[in-house]
Amino acid sequence: MHADLNEQELRDRLSLIESMIAEGRRTTESWGWTFVLWGVAYYIALAWSIWSPSVWAWPVTIVAAVIVTFVGVSIKAGSRPETTLGRASMAIWTALGVSMFVLFLAMGFTGRLADVRVFISIASAILGMANGASGIILRWKVQIACAIVWWAAAALSCFVSESQSLIVFLVAIFFCQIVFGIYGMIAEARQRKGQANNGPAHA
Amino acid sequence: MDLPMPDLPELNPVIHGRLRLALLSLLSGVEEAEFTWLRAKTASTDGNLGAQLLKLEEAGYLTVEKKFVLRKPQTLYRITEAGRQALTEYVRALKQLLGSAMDA
Repeated sequence: MHADLNEQELRDRLSLIESMIAEGRRTTESWGWTFVLWGVAYYIALAWSIWSPSVWAWPVTIVAAVIVTFVGVSIKAGSRPETTLGRASMAIWTALGVSMFVLFLAMGFTGRLADVRVFISIASAILGMANGASGIILRWKVQIACAIVWWAAAALSCFVSESQSLIVFLVAIFFCQIVFGIYGMIAEARQRKGQANNGPAHA
Repeated sequence: MDLPMPDLPELNPVIHGRLRLALLSLLSGVEEAEFTWLRAKTASTDGNLGAQLLKLEEAGYLTVEKKFVLRKPQTLYRITEAGRQALTEYVRALKQLLGSAMDA
């Protein structure tokens, strides 16, 4: 098999292997929209629970957001390969979703969420943990910065009044969900554009 | 410069073809990949891609799983341990041949 190969052909084969392996690892994930979606969902749930208090405000909004996320992820993930990094990120956010849903649903129905500051502190700390873990895995400094904002919001909520705590939460959601999500979407679009300009890997 | 070489390693003919080599390399970098993604990355036709993937599957270098997601059919491919081993050995053989070529 090797008798008819010259040095250039051998180098081409090696280069092809390297470029294809890199291509697989460079797969673009698109998660920015989920941050925006969940930011909006938090605002809707907060507005609903403030202006028309109901124990169903959060569960209904969260279930609706979960359904939209699931459908969106299924459609977008259709032709994208699964990578270890992607699965690790997915694991973090799935675990976060389940933890928050179970905890806050139980606390809400048993009346343990009497102090909104406790809710905001716990929610912010959990969001800080997920953003921190994801930022470290992806080596994404902007997401680590979001984690720091969430952790600061978690601590700050314990020292201020309920209304101030709510403002802290709204600001954290704005920067760490809406702004960060839009930033992520722009970064993903740029990355996709860059890959499209490189063209497909001919084989 | 042709490479004359008795005592040098043979390159695995199953993955020596450019498309099959590209496919195995792509799959070595991900856990699993869909047919359409592989087609986009290799800029190949459905027929050629399907035929080359089948050859790799028959050699035991990859596994295939067909499923439906939101009523759409999906064909997922994963590299096997044998496939990873074959690719590693192919790279080792290539480097050995290149080393000999430079010595010559």
